[in-house]
Amino acid sequence: MINLQSITKKKPRYIAVYLKKAKQYNWTLCLDSLVFISWGILLLKYAITGEYKLLIHPNYFLLMVVTGILMLLIGVVRGILFLQFPNSASDKEQHLTLFPAKFSSTLLLGVAIAGLIISPNVLTSKTALQRGVAENLPLTSSQPQSFVTTTKSEERSLIDWVRTLNAYPEPDAYQGQPAKVTGFVVHLPELPENYLLISRFIVTCCAVDAYPIGIPVQLEGNRNAYSPDTWLEITGTMTTANLPSKDHQNQRKLVLVPSEIKPIPTPKDPYISNQ
Amino acid sequence: MSQLHNAFTLFLSLLVEAMPFLLLGVIVSSSLLLLVDERKLIAKIPSNPFLGALVGSCVGFLFPVCECGNVPVARRLLLKGVSPSVAIAFLLAAPTINPVVIWSTWVAFGEQPQIVILRIIFSLGIATIIGCIFSIQKDPRALLQPTLAKRFNLLVARGAQKSENNGSLSSVLLQSGTFLLGTSGQPQRMEQLFSETLSPVVGITDNSKFQSFLNNVVLELRELGGMLIFGSAIAAIIQVFVPREFVLSLSHDTITSIVAMMLLAAIVSICSTVDSFFALSFAATFTSSSLLAFLVFGPTIDIKAMGLMASIFKPKIIIYIFAIVAQLTFLLTLIYSYLS
Repeated sequence: MINLQSITKKKPRYIAVYLKKAKQYNWTLCLDSLVFISWGILLLKYAITGEYKLLIHPNYFLLMVVTGILMLLIGVVRGILFLQFPNSASDKEQHLTLFPAKFSSTLLLGVAIAGLIISPNVLTSKTALQRGVAENLPLTSSQPQSFVTTTKSEERSLIDWVRTLNAYPEPDAYQGQPAKVTGFVVHLPELPENYLLISRFIVTCCAVDAYPIGIPVQLEGNRNAYSPDTWLEITGTMTTANLPSKDHQNQRKLVLVPSEIKPIPTPKDPYISNQ
Repeated sequence: MSQLHNAFTLFLSLLVEAMPFLLLGVIVSSSLLLLVDERKLIAKIPSNPFLGALVGSCVGFLFPVCECGNVPVARRLLLKGVSPSVAIAFLLAAPTINPVVIWSTWVAFGEQPQIVILRIIFSLGIATIIGCIFSIQKDPRALLQPTLAKRFNLLVARGAQKSENNGSLSSVLLQSGTFLLGTSGQPQRMEQLFSETLSPVVGITDNSKFQSFLNNVVLELRELGGMLIFGSAIAAIIQVFVPREFVLSLSHDTITSIVAMMLLAAIVSICSTVDSFFALSFAATFTSSSLLAFLVFGPTIDIKAMGLMASIFKPKIIIYIFAIVAQLTFLLTLIYSYLS
């Protein structure tokens, strides 16, 4: 007991001296350095884990990595400066900024830490429905010649099918062609109970602009056997059917009749990149 | 809960997308601060408001930055003493009038060259018109967001002090502001006293030049990063809770489809370098006039950029700019839809 008391008595003095010293430190400098380092780490983490594929178009990968490295460097240099001159007051303008400097820094730091803890998720069928699945395929294809029919039909991915269909929108032309596509399940309310939509998101710039495309799949039973968001690899043949669309008019559409449906794990790069 | 997670993912996606451009803009702005002599810069810009605004719009060609990157640059131009009309024209035009964006629009809409050409002409026109409108207000401080205006005051004071030191009298009029009686017995303006401590840039060596460059990068990125977080958060929340289908379902005819696409442009907050590819995905369902509205309106005004713009202008001014850009875009594209 006595020992403890003597320690607790001693400690405050110790801390007080330290606090007095710390008060002279310019902690904004330290916080800045942490902000930059944490953002650098966050961007590089996305690059290393491949999670960036859930956030941005792969074209921006290099840009993101360079930014990450630069921010890390700036943070480290800033940190070294802080350690060398902890009470340098290089930040005189801080009282003139829009937000108090510490508020802004804390916000940035908080978001970076949240980003490090919470992984981004894959957009779901709910988002697909919300964004309106491009069923009649208003698809971008800046180079329509790239679709060509020379590729084997079973090698076409979902987006290739949609592109092909877009270039030559005559469903009957593809009747009987074998196909093998992967995508996630969407239960489109306007389709009959034995149809599901095999779908994927296309990303132009970042996840914000991702929009879904899809092809209806004709099942033997009820679609509830495959719950929404399950990833499937479907092998089968193409055929056509008259299906109701959103405005309740029957439309002749390309439909996949599966011969084999295989559930697969969510792929590492669930989105198809546009361009 | 999953909706919240979605919102967070979209929020991060906006940030990760915008951060590189913001850093680029901040680095350009910081180099301008150190490398460009403001007097030479201002001397080169025509004083006629119309020509000035036109030049401002075209300056974007030199800085291939999108809407996140041009805010720090526009701010720096203002603080360098460039007239607000030029800076506003730059702010509005730079995201569209730059080589990368024109090239990507061409790739996407090469088959409809009128869209590419009209996008450039409309953006240039709107930026110039708004630049001219704001040239009526001679004192930039009336437009600026209060803290930036304060900063501006300091720089004006410093400039005045400099020219006084050079022997030329800057103004014989009574100057407003707080004055202190200095040691010399002469009243000194309070801001001037501060400005001495606030001028890390005047007369510096290479080493400290690097340090003040670094300081400025950190300072601006911190401040604008905070604003970007606000803007992106709002944009992400709207994305998740207002279905895109709802916006698209608003379009029934020429007029409503233009409005719907403009609304979509503001909500999606997509970067101008790639927005043409995004617009292309609506090419089958929307009229070309509404696509044009998307392409003209999107880069200048979006929710994500609103936060950044709030670091330059008073809220009232942002609403003015927003309203005028929206009306002009609407009118021009409507005229196009009837002519084509």
